[in-house]
Amino acid sequence: MIRKNYFFISGFLFLLLTAACVKQKKTVVVYATVDQIFSEPVLKEFEKDSGIEVKAVYDTEETKSTGVLNRIIAEKENPQCDVFWSGDPVRSAVLSQKGITAAYNSPVAADINNVFKDPEHHWTGFSARARVLIYNKDLIDPVEAPQSIFDLTKEKYKGKVTIANPLFGTTTFHIAAIFSVLGDQKAIQFLTDLKNNDVVIATSNGDVKKMVSEGKVACGLTDTDDAFEALKEGENIGMVFLDQQGIGTLIMPNTVSMIKNSPNPENAKKLIDYLLSRKTEAALAKSCAQMPLHKGVDIPKEIPSLDAIVPMKIDYNKTAQKLEEIQNYLKEWVEN
Amino acid sequence: MGGKLIKYPIYTSVFLLFVLFIIAPVFYTLLFFEGSLVENLKLLDQKTFYLLGKSILIAFTIASFATFFGTILGFLLYRTNLRFRNFYRMVLMIPLFISPYILAVAWKDLFFLFTGSSDWIASETGVILVLGIIFTPLSMLITGNAFNNINTHLEETGLMITDLQSVIFKIILPLIKPALFTSFVLIFIFSISEFSVPSYFGVRLFTTEMFTQFSAFYNHSLAVLQSVLLILICVVLLYADRKYLADAPFLSFGGKGKKVKIFTLKKYRIPDELFVFFWFLISVLLPFSVLIIQSFKGGISKFIQAFELLKPTFLSSVYLALLGAAISVFIGFTAAYISEVRKIKIFDWFLLFVFAIPSTIFGISLIKFYNHPFLDFIYSGFAIVIIAYVGKFSFIAAKLIGNAIKQIPQSLEEAAQIEGVGFYRRIRKIVFPLVLPAVFTAFIINFTFSIGELGTTIMVYPPGSEIMPIKVFTIMANAPQSLVSAMTLIVLGVTLLLITIMYLIVKPLLKNYSDANN
Amino acid sequence: MPIIELKNITHAYGKKRVLQNISLNIEPGKLTCLLGGSGSGKTTILRLIAGLEIPEKGEIYIENKLVTNDSNILIPSNKRNLGFIFQDLALWPHFTVFENIAFGLKERRTQQIEQKVSEILSFFDLQAFAEKYPHQLSGGQQQLVAISRALVLEPKILLMDEPLSGLDVKLKRKILEHIKDLKKNFDVTLVYVTHDHREAFAIADQIIVLNEGKLVEAASAKEIKHSENEYVKYFLEY
Repeated sequence: MIRKNYFFISGFLFLLLTAACVKQKKTVVVYATVDQIFSEPVLKEFEKDSGIEVKAVYDTEETKSTGVLNRIIAEKENPQCDVFWSGDPVRSAVLSQKGITAAYNSPVAADINNVFKDPEHHWTGFSARARVLIYNKDLIDPVEAPQSIFDLTKEKYKGKVTIANPLFGTTTFHIAAIFSVLGDQKAIQFLTDLKNNDVVIATSNGDVKKMVSEGKVACGLTDTDDAFEALKEGENIGMVFLDQQGIGTLIMPNTVSMIKNSPNPENAKKLIDYLLSRKTEAALAKSCAQMPLHKGVDIPKEIPSLDAIVPMKIDYNKTAQKLEEIQNYLKEWVEN
Repeated sequence: MGGKLIKYPIYTSVFLLFVLFIIAPVFYTLLFFEGSLVENLKLLDQKTFYLLGKSILIAFTIASFATFFGTILGFLLYRTNLRFRNFYRMVLMIPLFISPYILAVAWKDLFFLFTGSSDWIASETGVILVLGIIFTPLSMLITGNAFNNINTHLEETGLMITDLQSVIFKIILPLIKPALFTSFVLIFIFSISEFSVPSYFGVRLFTTEMFTQFSAFYNHSLAVLQSVLLILICVVLLYADRKYLADAPFLSFGGKGKKVKIFTLKKYRIPDELFVFFWFLISVLLPFSVLIIQSFKGGISKFIQAFELLKPTFLSSVYLALLGAAISVFIGFTAAYISEVRKIKIFDWFLLFVFAIPSTIFGISLIKFYNHPFLDFIYSGFAIVIIAYVGKFSFIAAKLIGNAIKQIPQSLEEAAQIEGVGFYRRIRKIVFPLVLPAVFTAFIINFTFSIGELGTTIMVYPPGSEIMPIKVFTIMANAPQSLVSAMTLIVLGVTLLLITIMYLIVKPLLKNYSDANN
Repeated sequence: MPIIELKNITHAYGKKRVLQNISLNIEPGKLTCLLGGSGSGKTTILRLIAGLEIPEKGEIYIENKLVTNDSNILIPSNKRNLGFIFQDLALWPHFTVFENIAFGLKERRTQQIEQKVSEILSFFDLQAFAEKYPHQLSGGQQQLVAISRALVLEPKILLMDEPLSGLDVKLKRKILEHIKDLKKNFDVTLVYVTHDHREAFAIADQIIVLNEGKLVEAASAKEIKHSENEYVKYFLEY
């Protein structure tokens, strides 16, 4: 036993030498599932403004690694993370259900619509994306472009529509929202029709964009950020906000949560306030076409205002719960 | 057993440290995972086993494919006078230095470019083809080294009796059986736990299923349970390997006959050269042309941007990979020596055990074990990344070095023992120099895998640190294709540059060695 | 007084028993041949004496000291003051001839290494090859290097395991002459393992005939030549 202890200690000493990372006082740790290319500049700006060093762990939903979320869950006994910045409300809701987040009612978010906030303040929304349809103008005449998700189940789009794997990312949330709005029966009917219409399942929203741009399929559902990217890259792409006469378009805000028992709670609040500020919303509008939730934020012309879009009327927390309920169904749906 | 352990203090310490730092976390997670075992066992239904069977079949095909072509390439490039063989030996390794995911993307783009459809590649066939192509160089390296170590007399004796073809099939291949097996086993394990390629091609396999449990359902315990199945398969495979190889012929270095015989290609020269060129074309030229074309679409500016993004990662990534590879090789050497010479195999099994665990599960295990306040100095620093690298790749080092140690006649060490040369000096002066080429190969392979490791690293890397593959991966989403391709090419360039530098550093030592053998 | 004594040695490799309760003595200052076919256990005996194998049962004495008692090694190989010539010679391929010979001396921190090495090299006429690597030498030269390497450490006992296999007859004869003279020139007891009775008769003082792990007969070379033992007679016919 003494022998073992000796190895234990010498091993620790050895690793101590290599553990170069020493904890600093003025830091905040953020785990972000928002693409690094957009989130990093915002965090850098915060560092500059506040003098607090940001230590970030990035991840991406694109390749569905969801390493960050699973990491937070695995770390829950001894949280390392202060702030969780999510690209959609689902992940925040999952964490809050697992009791990993803490409540924080940021004064900065006072004028953000309550729809985009957790009533218990475990997460708060900002800069939103919407779910839209993109289509290839070479394959679909703009005049005849589908205007509703129900158009996608029509015979003329058989085998020509793509959506990303609904088990992951924002597509899951979109489907859960459809369940919320339509009720289980109609939603299942819709998905069955879609399946019978030979919908193509893409690996990610980015993949949807790629397939449509390349003309592998005629149209597909994706997020506004991917859609704007596609519009920028190719002239043959069109974009539609669906169901403006019906159930509305799904709006998906970024969300930010504070982690319970986090190591730097004060700095965490500062970062959350910063992320919820108009400045961040303006920056994200510019870099990735996200629509601000505050009123009157200065945004580029081509970005639509939220006021101009008919939103899907859903309760985000309930939808997140719905999502858990339908996961097994969706798995079946994808696999069969 | 106890007596033996105390007899080799270094081995014992390395072993105990390995168990403590790497095995303990995994056992901790396997034994104390949350959730009801009964509930989870129920979820292991027929479908799970169907997928497992499919995964085994596909991994088996990939391992056979890669070992088959790797052996042909290994023979042609290491043992014949094929033109440009030194060039090919280097460039054919390239697919190994790149993340499989990026190559899968390149291949899909390529197919779409040529055929207007990616249906064919986005299938089981595509998974086999792409992973097969990626792992063939690994097999080439392993078999190539083995070809070089065959006692020429054995071949020449064969040539007296029969033609080259029979000599290859009846003498040379049976002699390198351990290498063929190692190649097969390694590639099988790599393929069966590969996730990114089947996922990208939309092929449902056991790993993608496990991943779904993990990332869509957050069911860690089921994922852990599923990974146990995977580990069992790998263990069975290695057990078969042991059983089968127990009587493998001993190859020996003679004082004479060590000089490698280079066979002259005669009437087969043209087809052989065409074959190698064709392989170069499909495994390197085509996919990399796609990457190069894509990255220059955005002009040189994308390259500059990519370089700026990657710049802060170089130092830490190289430092971590070097340290990780050094420790892995040290562990591998220790384990291999004790296993081959002293016949104590337990360390080997542990190395395999960790190697066979899927990356994400290993990452979760490390978090659960190390994320305690009093272990913070490990978990919040680079030490955790080193632990991840060492855990994942020491097995490869042990295998490669073990095969080399197997080939040293025991008398060389015994002669020194009788002369009163102490144990550690025998290792340093006799065994180590003789297996130096294998040690170097193991170091390079471990370095390459470490510097590209993603699955576990992304789970455990310290917040705020910059690590190359993580950066490429997290930037990849929604970044323009040109930027991603440019980053990939830069990563490739850096890896190749470092390997070249290492080769130049070690070359004088290797030369010294080969002088002694030629 | 024998210099080496084996008492009731039993040894097995795994389940395969190779030596059955064997006892034998080696006389000092003589050249003793262990003669037997393959599987007779002759090499195993040599390795046991050298301490490279651990017996299952029995005792081994060297110079009256108990070195091995059942499966306990009491005195390790390097403290037994003996040299060993392996069948494959075991010349270290990455060392030059000089380094091969000097390695053990350096290990023992001997004085005047250079001088000792060059003395032994010149004794065997090998000075010209000091800087060569083993593979650059002829088979006979390699033999002599291996012998030099063992003798430079001035062992009391030199164990040789069929060192001449693979040499041509002429060369063999020459080296056998060398070996015969070793005991005079170097004051060493020789134990020589061979399957070739002509080799044995050419050099041996004593011969121990072995078969299937058992001692058949131990006597002087002359006596063995005229042995009445059925197996010995049979063995010598070939």
